[in-house]
Amino acid sequence: MTAATTTHGGSRTPGFFDALAPGGARALFFLSVTAVLFLFAFPVFWLVLTSLKPGWEVFYVHRSTEFTWGNYVDVLQEEIVLNAFINSFVIATAATILSLAVTVSSGYMLSRFRGPIANTWFGTIYLFRCIPYISWVLPLYFVTQWLGIFDSYLGLLLPHIAVHICFFSWIMKGFFDGIDPSMEHAALIDGCTRWGAFRRVALPSAIPGIAALAILCWLWTWNEFLFALILTSHNTPMITVVMAQFVHELGTEWNLMSATAVMTMGPALIITIFGQKYVIKGLRI
Amino acid sequence: MLLLVGPAAAVLVLFQIVPILIGMNASFRSWALYDPTKTWVGLKHYIYVLSDPVFMTVVLPNTFLLMFLSVAISLVFGLALAHLLNRDFLGQRIVQTIVLLPLMVAPVIVSTMIRWMFNDQFGIVAVVWEGLGFEPMAWLAERWPSFSIILFTDVWIWTPWFTIILLAGLKSLPREPYEAAAIDAAGRWRVFTHITLPMLRPVMLVCIVIRSIDAFRTFDQVWVISAGGPARGTEVFSVYAYIEAFQNLNFGRGSAAAVVGGVIIMVVGLLMYRVLNRLMEVSR
Repeated sequence: MTAATTTHGGSRTPGFFDALAPGGARALFFLSVTAVLFLFAFPVFWLVLTSLKPGWEVFYVHRSTEFTWGNYVDVLQEEIVLNAFINSFVIATAATILSLAVTVSSGYMLSRFRGPIANTWFGTIYLFRCIPYISWVLPLYFVTQWLGIFDSYLGLLLPHIAVHICFFSWIMKGFFDGIDPSMEHAALIDGCTRWGAFRRVALPSAIPGIAALAILCWLWTWNEFLFALILTSHNTPMITVVMAQFVHELGTEWNLMSATAVMTMGPALIITIFGQKYVIKGLRI
Repeated sequence: MLLLVGPAAAVLVLFQIVPILIGMNASFRSWALYDPTKTWVGLKHYIYVLSDPVFMTVVLPNTFLLMFLSVAISLVFGLALAHLLNRDFLGQRIVQTIVLLPLMVAPVIVSTMIRWMFNDQFGIVAVVWEGLGFEPMAWLAERWPSFSIILFTDVWIWTPWFTIILLAGLKSLPREPYEAAAIDAAGRWRVFTHITLPMLRPVMLVCIVIRSIDAFRTFDQVWVISAGGPARGTEVFSVYAYIEAFQNLNFGRGSAAAVVGGVIIMVVGLLMYRVLNRLMEVSR
């Protein structure tokens, strides 16, 4: 849509953009970009603005003039918020590493092997991918109680891995499908073991995809709400739940909630800014 | 071979399959959270759910409508944005980062924020709306306005997901067909419909199926924005199951509703995969 691309190609049929005045296409492009930016950024901008307002002004943010860091100071003085940040970080990181570790081999198996076991496994992950969360979250509470891991790191970590298994196996299968198996066959002929062919040949080629998945997995676990709500209590508070708890019977403390929300977005923001290149390169399914 | 899936299968069995079996077992029992006698009642809960007018005439249509509209709109926007971001222009990186914002904000945060913005007294949308001279309106007190707000939120959250995957797809397309089209002086729209779309189809197929299955079980957004209200007008099936299990404390009936929904989406997902796959094979 830029001016440079509208002028080339001489004799093609006149299109919509040729009807615009010179510079019109550029202006239209600029306008659409601005509209997109506005739509995507506004709710986040509003959140940041609300977080900088003193409590009595949140009901008329649009015409208030005062700004304060007080909300952030207030929130950070609460021990539970700091603990929740640490817990969320540990769970998100551990869940990412472990989910990738168990699904990389399962995706490889789905891509390279045929036969009843592979078919059964693919059927299973397809089936369980479709089951709505709501039907296993409450029984999951009973299971973690029964195993004695309720409200501990392990009790949240293992269900989080379980959530990712179906989707990640499916995507990983896609990554390995895109890698030509003839290299592995060559490695096998040269005396490499099956495991060696996987580890030395297939795995390095799949790294960009795995990196992309790692970034998304970390973000999803960090942002997850329903599991954190049901499977934890006061021992392992998670940041999304702590944030939602600023809503109580006296109404919502919008300013404090926004401040926590903005801080929750922080690590995610850093990851997205530095990781988007890898995500876009890697996610070629 | 078994070793490769062993760890994944073990976690899956213990933390997904076992809980689901417990839930299915519960759907045949009178399992109330306050009364754990768990008497076997057979298909009673299923009959109740399938003959409940709210479930059949409000919840299911809402669920399918939300799924269809959300996936369709985010797909179109995602494709447009992927195209926009696939070209080089000044500030492309910044635009890309902002477009990806919704991916990193927790759905709970977004939904709370949207509800706050659409608050009929203090919300910024109400302020702008009245500033433009319209009658004040309680959006969240009526069915279709609430539904539209939920739909908007869902599209806002998921468009970047389509964008990022389609952008990855666009970047991996071969250049030769485009060069050939440029030599033949093909118009931009023809290049898009005759080259880009057919080549992107496999990626789009996976996106649509995965996203549709997810959209069918949308919970967070609906629960935070409207909680299924007003008067159950925006209830989707996850919310229905949640309300039966946690608010009416009838775990058996909630589980039965969840099983019904699970079966429906499994069939729909499989059909969709088959049909789209067939379309792809034919066009090849």
